[in-house]
Amino acid sequence: MSVPAIQLVGIGKRYGGLQAVESVSLTVAAGERRVLIGPNGAGKTTLFHCVTGTVRATSGSIRLFDTDVTRLDEARRTRLGMGRTFQISNVFMDLTVVENVLLALLGKDRRKWTAYRPLRMYPGLHEEAIAGLSAVGLESRANELVRLLSYGERRQLELALALATAPRVLFLDEPCAGLSPSERQLLSRLISALPRDITLLMIEHDMDVALALADRVTVLHRGKVILEGSPDEVQADPEVREVYFGHV
Amino acid sequence: MDRKLAIVLALVCVAIAALLPLVAGPFWIALLTQMFIFGLLALSVDLLLGHAGLFSLCHAAFFSVAAYTTAILQVRYGVSTALAAPAGIVAGTLLGMLFGLSVRTRGVYFILITIALGYIVWGVAYRWSSFTGGDNGVTNVPRPALAGYGLESMTSYYYFMLAVIVLSLLAYRVLVSSPFGLTLRGIKTSESRMTSVGFRPNRHLYAAFVLSAAIASFAGVLYVYYNRFVNPVSASFPISVEAVLMAIVGGSGTIVGPLLGSGIVLALRNWVSSFFELHAAVMGLVFIAVVLWAPGGLVGLLESFRNGRRPGR
Repeated sequence: MSVPAIQLVGIGKRYGGLQAVESVSLTVAAGERRVLIGPNGAGKTTLFHCVTGTVRATSGSIRLFDTDVTRLDEARRTRLGMGRTFQISNVFMDLTVVENVLLALLGKDRRKWTAYRPLRMYPGLHEEAIAGLSAVGLESRANELVRLLSYGERRQLELALALATAPRVLFLDEPCAGLSPSERQLLSRLISALPRDITLLMIEHDMDVALALADRVTVLHRGKVILEGSPDEVQADPEVREVYFGHV
Repeated sequence: MDRKLAIVLALVCVAIAALLPLVAGPFWIALLTQMFIFGLLALSVDLLLGHAGLFSLCHAAFFSVAAYTTAILQVRYGVSTALAAPAGIVAGTLLGMLFGLSVRTRGVYFILITIALGYIVWGVAYRWSSFTGGDNGVTNVPRPALAGYGLESMTSYYYFMLAVIVLSLLAYRVLVSSPFGLTLRGIKTSESRMTSVGFRPNRHLYAAFVLSAAIASFAGVLYVYYNRFVNPVSASFPISVEAVLMAIVGGSGTIVGPLLGSGIVLALRNWVSSFFELHAAVMGLVFIAVVLWAPGGLVGLLESFRNGRRPGR
């Protein structure tokens, strides 16, 4: 069997007296699309933060393919192939749309240190950024300030930023949160059209989006994994129905 | 602003500045020379403030350490300008490498640390009188010669400074439009996003801090050759504050803003102090007005008029 894309062993995160994540072990195969579901406060976002390095886990270990990344900082993990989006839009509001993507491209590029040459002297970089924007349908807004974009467009840009880092494993934290039905459809179409060689981990509350996209589903409840299985299995499970869907 | 207009405007300004000594008296030439020197200091502060989002209040330290180093070497040890001037820049930059470690902090903590660091340098300049000359400072710094061409007269130093400021602004323009410049603005806007796309913000901020200290040191050396003496006032907290205010009044985050702000602040101070003793209070009111009604400074104000919008936000 090939090396898994992500392997978590006993990941825990404690904030003072609160154990937000309690010993989560999880294996995601390369190329798999995994959706994490669970009620509010289940620890999904905290788990994402621990895995991508936004916060340090208090216990456990994280492997990205062959590499143990437990002790590496976030920037290093990004360079090794982790990309992420945030639950609450986190884009560069004061910059233009294309500058946003340029920054995401420069993150793993040594040219980010160049101080003696204007950015417009790098036509290749600019083309790459525009290509990244057209992949999410934003190329016509390239020179607009991000603060003038609609909320839905910012979510699209968020995805473009994550993709610009050329991730091997992509973490999407509720990409469709707060979107209108049509925007939601657009974004889930964009996500399902992603190349299959990108391993996908996604937190999603919208069951239709989640179940349509997922190869497998993991259910988190109170910081613990309570079930893992195919979308059909998870939907049929009585315990999941109880904690997630509420009493029927 | 569109490119052509900006170029034409810049050329007109340079042409006027070049012709000015033919009509303007020594008072105006001296004022403009000071405007160029402090404009460079304000520019160094604004690299951090307007681009990286770091509010530094210790830039008088680099400015004065460079000025003192050059003055002491030249006056007391008879070192030539060709060595004393670069030595001043190196000394201020080395101090910047040390003080730059403060970029590990953010917000109000960063401001407080830089204030404290600035006071250390002022204290040394003031109290270590056997070395720094104490209150009197170091006097009789000679005006330098450049490639056999003396800069003794006020007018020749003015032209020299004009050339320096034009070249500095052109270089600064490249700097802020470079990948490094965009990186700094990214950090200012969202640091957490920067780390998640693979940056280590502290390293970029440290580099920006050292670069900024180097520019401030450059201004310090130019200052000591203009002023021909240096005393603890140049290391004092009000100088650091004034540099920040110049940047804000002119237009933080722009290229010509800090220079314009330097001109406004110096002219206003000269003018008001000629008839009103409490000129510092008047300056304070002006700054409050700028922050309230024109947060983009003079440049922001002009641009909002051009776009037909109301200034401010």
